[in-house]
Amino acid sequence: MRQKNIRNFCIIAHIDHGKSTLADRILEMTGSISKRELKSQMLDSMDIERERGITIKLNAVQLTYQYEGEEYYFHLIDTPGHVDFSYEVSRSLAACEGALLVVDAAQGVEAQTLANLYLALDNNLEVIPVVNKIDLPNADLDKVSEELENIGFNRENIIFTSAKTGQGIDTLLEAIIKKIPAPKGGVDEPLKALIFDSLFDAYRGVIVSIRVVSGKVKVGDIIRMMETGASYEVVGLSINTPKEEKVQSLKAGEVGYLYASIKSISDVLVGDTITLDNRPADKALPGYKPMKPMVYSGLYPIESSKFEDLREGLDKLKLNDASLTAEPETSKALGFGFRCGFLGLLHMEVIEERIEREFGIDLIATSPSVVYEVVLTDGSKIMVDSPTKMPKRELISKTLEPYVKTSIFTPSDYIGPIMELCQDKRGNFVNMEYLDQSRVMIHYELPLSEIVYDFFDKLKSYTKGYASFDYELIGYRESNLVKMDILLNGDIVDALSVIVHKDFAYKRGKIVVEKLKEIIPRQMFEVPIQAAIGTHVIARTDIKALRKNVLAKCYGGDVTRKKKLLEKQKEGKKRMKQIGSVEVPQEAFLSILSTTEK
Amino acid sequence: MSVKSFYVHIPFCKKICSYCDFCKLFYSTGYVLDYLNCLEDEILNCYQGEELDTIYIGGGTPSCLSDSELEKLFSILSCLKKSHDCEVTIEANFDSLTKSKLDICKKFGVNRISFGLETTHPWILKKMNRDLDLDYVKEIISYCKSIGIFNINVDLMYAFVGESVKEVEEDIDFILSLDVNHVSCYSLILEENTKLYIDNEKEISEDVDFSMYEVIKKKLADSGFCHYEISNFGKDGYFSKHNLCYWKNDCYYGVGLGASGYLGDVRYQNTRSIQHYLQKKYRLEEEKLDLYDKMEYEVILNLRTKYGISKKKFKKRYGKNFEEVYSYHDLVRDGYLVDDGEYVVIPDGFWYLSNEILVKLLEGVING
Repeated sequence: MRQKNIRNFCIIAHIDHGKSTLADRILEMTGSISKRELKSQMLDSMDIERERGITIKLNAVQLTYQYEGEEYYFHLIDTPGHVDFSYEVSRSLAACEGALLVVDAAQGVEAQTLANLYLALDNNLEVIPVVNKIDLPNADLDKVSEELENIGFNRENIIFTSAKTGQGIDTLLEAIIKKIPAPKGGVDEPLKALIFDSLFDAYRGVIVSIRVVSGKVKVGDIIRMMETGASYEVVGLSINTPKEEKVQSLKAGEVGYLYASIKSISDVLVGDTITLDNRPADKALPGYKPMKPMVYSGLYPIESSKFEDLREGLDKLKLNDASLTAEPETSKALGFGFRCGFLGLLHMEVIEERIEREFGIDLIATSPSVVYEVVLTDGSKIMVDSPTKMPKRELISKTLEPYVKTSIFTPSDYIGPIMELCQDKRGNFVNMEYLDQSRVMIHYELPLSEIVYDFFDKLKSYTKGYASFDYELIGYRESNLVKMDILLNGDIVDALSVIVHKDFAYKRGKIVVEKLKEIIPRQMFEVPIQAAIGTHVIARTDIKALRKNVLAKCYGGDVTRKKKLLEKQKEGKKRMKQIGSVEVPQEAFLSILSTTEK
Repeated sequence: MSVKSFYVHIPFCKKICSYCDFCKLFYSTGYVLDYLNCLEDEILNCYQGEELDTIYIGGGTPSCLSDSELEKLFSILSCLKKSHDCEVTIEANFDSLTKSKLDICKKFGVNRISFGLETTHPWILKKMNRDLDLDYVKEIISYCKSIGIFNINVDLMYAFVGESVKEVEEDIDFILSLDVNHVSCYSLILEENTKLYIDNEKEISEDVDFSMYEVIKKKLADSGFCHYEISNFGKDGYFSKHNLCYWKNDCYYGVGLGASGYLGDVRYQNTRSIQHYLQKKYRLEEEKLDLYDKMEYEVILNLRTKYGISKKKFKKRYGKNFEEVYSYHDLVRDGYLVDDGEYVVIPDGFWYLSNEILVKLLEGVING
């Protein structure tokens, strides 16, 4: 493989703009797979990904393409399409020289289009603008081209494709060869290989996706991870075409997989640099950042007997997901479960769904929490990822919470409602950029906890789904936070406690108790629901006592039916959690999240 | 366990009530004789000649049979051996029961009549698709008494959307004015496959339903009625022996379309299809009960009455102590069950919660 004939690139796009379909089409056009073999969206291998249209796990494929008598090697690196995985995206980009920026011909430029573009430019990539889905009846090529011009592209460089029909793909492949530079990096220099993804395989251990930046790695080499210092002997190297092919070595510019009997995925850090033990590079590649969960939630099996199954399920998922953390925790209300850390809300949803679907465990998830920083009166500092870990108020000197900078991309009609929403969510306005007359990018600084709460749903409903949104963490800020408890029949339900800003606690408390009243069925006795800060009750409502009873009314002699009715009622109860003397349906634990205020 | 009770189902009705999901058919002379012939066949096939303490002719509307059809029915039933104080009940509606039919009943030995009155208010009668002439009600009830039938029940149905507590009180007052000895009060259930359900009738609020139940209990208690089962009130000596057989979890025959019975280890259900019945395919399904099923039925049924569960009888029937089978101490602690050492009962004040209490009790089964 000659280095000058290698092209490393990725495809970046806003969600649903056709990234995976375009990747499939490139695979097909380069003859890597036949149409017959092409399962729609080949690169997304998990069911959930295909269903949701999101690419979660990374994949890199080597394709060969004949152009003007020369054989070219394309390494197509697929990237996740969601803000939760922006660090992983940035490392994938760092493995490339170029990027295809895909924009939907009907939707135009969106928040993630821009976020991804900036990431690509940060990594000094050559970006080729691609307007995709030009076969759509509502495609507006002029408008989309103008939008791309507004963000700095030349109109004549834009490539128009339909991944669905194959139109324009040839032109695109030509542009990849002509515009994207070949990799540099000397084969004789010390090895530097960037880890941009990893995957756990039951037989081979961790399989590491690498881009060799300089030097050369071969089977049998002793390698060293520059961040962790761990070293291993390379057992095998391979490339994906997209069938796996074993190779003896990978050289500067090449992309492939390495396995070395690595037992734990936590030894393989995305963004870390691999070098040779006997001839190490003097400096690691730039850009490594440890991945830290941003959102925590308690996951509990509805049936307490499934606790061990849940442990196994989480362990299996963790094998492939270094960013997922799980520590056992006990809740008085929910029993034994795990405090899990996620990169973001989507990551959380995906994990919950996979546990329910792949391991058949029904879950109760507690309201997600961000990680707060609490400075105690003795000057020490602790991180609090769960309301139950919040220290007593008299021990706290100050509290800080993570803030994000959001980029909200919207038609200008919705500026008013969006600003109103952001103010309501304790946001600080930063600035506003007009992309053209009708499209605006609004920047706000917002507490991450508000985004975790219901910001996304609200944004969609305030803008009829037209606005798109992206965010990045900008650090911790002091904030007047309190722990709000929920009491059922006088007992604190630990799993329902939340940390809220003091000024918003009353409003939030009122909504939560009203919502719980709707969800919790009448019980045999009257049940007060209270929201309290410390011992101070800030909201209260009562669930009236049950007054009616179907069985009591049953007429006549068909006794079997009465029994069946009772059986049914017993079944219904299985879906409830007994908390003290009160039976609570699982939805109650989510209700804290999904409250609507208007 | 010897069988001492016998249920006969007469599925025919002149009008179909909008709330009824019992097995019923429009009355048509063509069917009745064939039906009665099959009924006779079914009885001859199953009845083992036990001496019976109760016979209950229910429906449907047994009183809609003509005089000659009634005669035929009673001649069929004459094969049943009655104990000297056998309670023989027939269900009747005021729109079809005549004095001459009453005479026929009396002649066969009917000594208890259960009337469907349901309501006195025209707007509710209309919703129910029923007819009622209050003067005729009074006349027929006096006639019953004049021929020596004093054991009379009146059914009341309450809790229609729009019905007021006051209207229920008026119904009770009317029933009390009839000077009968037994009242059954049922709160409306919207059952699937009824006209009300299909018409999307709404349910009354729980709280109104509850106040109606309280008012009924109070008024009947003040007039000397004993609240001996969730929905049933009777004066001393006039409790329904037949229904108590169900609630004591005793065995009984059930014959006729859609009837159910309990014999030995089997609870069975007859077909609800008249075609099948007339082809002499009587049984629809049988449920073979194991020990735990039987104990469960015992609990569910016994706890409907003020007598509750007799621990001694429980031990005798099932060879286990009640305490060994169910853990119910929390329910006793919270007052939902009372255990006086011999009997376990749901106190009257918590009968409206009996579903919840039963579910909790049955969940507490040990070694289940």
